[in-house]
Amino acid sequence: MLKYIIKRALWVIPTLLGVLIILFSLTYLMPGDPASAMLGPRATPELVAELNQRLHLDRAMPVRLGYYLLGVAKGDLGTSVWSGHKVSSLLAEALPHTALLALTSLGVAALIGILLGAFAAVRRDSPIGGGVTIASLLGVAVPDFVAALLLMLLFCVQIPILPALGAGAAGDPIDIAVHLILPATALGIGWVGYLARLTRESMLDVLDADYIRTARAFAIPRRAIAYRYALKNAVIPSITVIGLGVGKLLGGAVFVEIIFSRPGIGKLIVDAVYARDFPVVQGGILVATILFVLANLAADISYAFVDPRIQYD
Amino acid sequence: MKTDTINQAEVGMSPAQLVLKRKWTDTLRVTLRAVVKVKGGLWGGIFISIMLICAIGAQWISPSDPNAQDIMHRFAGPSLDHFFGTDYLGRDIFSRIIYGCRIAVMVAFGAVTLSSIVGVFLGVVSGYNEGKKIDYFIIWLFDIVRSFPQIILALAIVAVLGPSLFNVVIALAFTAFPFYGRVARAQTLSVKEADYVKAAEAMGLKPLKIISRHITPNIMAPVIVCLGMDMATMIVWESGLSFLGLGVRPPTASWGIMLRNGYKYIQTSPWMILWPALAIALAMIAFSLFSEGLRVALDPKERER
Repeated sequence: MLKYIIKRALWVIPTLLGVLIILFSLTYLMPGDPASAMLGPRATPELVAELNQRLHLDRAMPVRLGYYLLGVAKGDLGTSVWSGHKVSSLLAEALPHTALLALTSLGVAALIGILLGAFAAVRRDSPIGGGVTIASLLGVAVPDFVAALLLMLLFCVQIPILPALGAGAAGDPIDIAVHLILPATALGIGWVGYLARLTRESMLDVLDADYIRTARAFAIPRRAIAYRYALKNAVIPSITVIGLGVGKLLGGAVFVEIIFSRPGIGKLIVDAVYARDFPVVQGGILVATILFVLANLAADISYAFVDPRIQYD
Repeated sequence: MKTDTINQAEVGMSPAQLVLKRKWTDTLRVTLRAVVKVKGGLWGGIFISIMLICAIGAQWISPSDPNAQDIMHRFAGPSLDHFFGTDYLGRDIFSRIIYGCRIAVMVAFGAVTLSSIVGVFLGVVSGYNEGKKIDYFIIWLFDIVRSFPQIILALAIVAVLGPSLFNVVIALAFTAFPFYGRVARAQTLSVKEADYVKAAEAMGLKPLKIISRHITPNIMAPVIVCLGMDMATMIVWESGLSFLGLGVRPPTASWGIMLRNGYKYIQTSPWMILWPALAIALAMIAFSLFSEGLRVALDPKERER
């Protein structure tokens, strides 16, 4: 297993190298001269020349790629064309907001979803199973940005009880929590139903397994069998899905942050896209991608730990 | 399973087994028939058909021109003149929803077609040359593109190319092709050991011919299942990108653009958000019911439960 983990972890390096090359080549896809495109129609030739030099845009392609990779390796993601701030510090400022939003919504959704799914499987003939299926269908049906808009319409406009915009005053936990309710719900609501259904299905499989029957023959309490013996194996598919879902979560965070006007990586990227501030777009996407890659790695490795039956070569 | 298209030897086989046995067009027909029998699959199919009809016949179905402005009657609620009300320029929302079907279907169909063609081609080439350099290169390529959070990559591509219908299709297709590629590669690995492929090799057929004539037609069934499921995702992303102003350009009627306009007037005019949100939700329910039916129909274990 150790060999598998090392191999899997090392594979991240060429993948991230490829990611950097793609991010770098995106600048070449920009129509026209990137410097004047970034500076807008009112740029003077001097400004364009200066930016060209600062971003090494006047050099040959391989040289530029070299500069770019070297910079990223040193943790230097360039400076914002728009504000002049360092991209890395802009990202460091935005990241905690996105992390709070994503972790809250995923954590709560996973807890509720998995327990609900397990419960629905244990009481397999009760209407809860059907309820879980319908809930998961609705969760899939309403994409996060539509959910965000509908929640905003309902709880900020029709029944104005929750704040619509911003992340709350820094240092005031209650204000921050109140501002988190709607965005986190919008982002996590689809996951509850999805994870519930996934857990219910795999739990139904597991409950039919021989070792569960053996446990039952040993007169171990029903509840202990279900939640200590069966759930541990039934939760495996959810782990993979959550790992893959981090990408979806980050994508959803883009919309939720825009709609609720919350600071964060997603808002940073989209605002930079509007402003044609390419270094910020590049840096933001790079950080989001690294997070996604690491989440997948963690999911794969934990998968190997949770289910020792899986063999790797 | 009782259908007239199945010959004696195949009676009692599950659709999943038929997938391995028959030509893919037959498989598709048998599968569709099985899907419709699954509870929900039929409803999904009906909703999708309605959506397709709206997309194709938008100009005959919609009561008025989706871009005709009527400034005197802007922000109107639902009435007999305007079933769903009017938007901030007095345009008929009902007509715009129907025209929005067309954009949604066009983008989704274009994106899944493009990405599946590219993905299947690369996947088959990679699977057929298993263990060779080109295989590793293609896997690497797939893994790179899959490393990006999909919608963020699409956003970046549209941002660079500039927002337009065509560029949205390109961007969405680019983010999705590795998924088809991996399905195609895995299928190819099992199909290429089959006797008919070995026979074709022994006859000295060129690799490209083997790939196009003998392998690709036999791996299409699972790819088509993916196509169906992916359509829904693409519809959501098209509206998502349009919502951000990075998709289809206004005044084109797209559900995403309608949501974007609705967001601006959320305080005063809830109809402008509700209808497109409902349209997206219905499309999603339809596609997930349908693909759920597809999954059940292809999984014999599920049918017993």
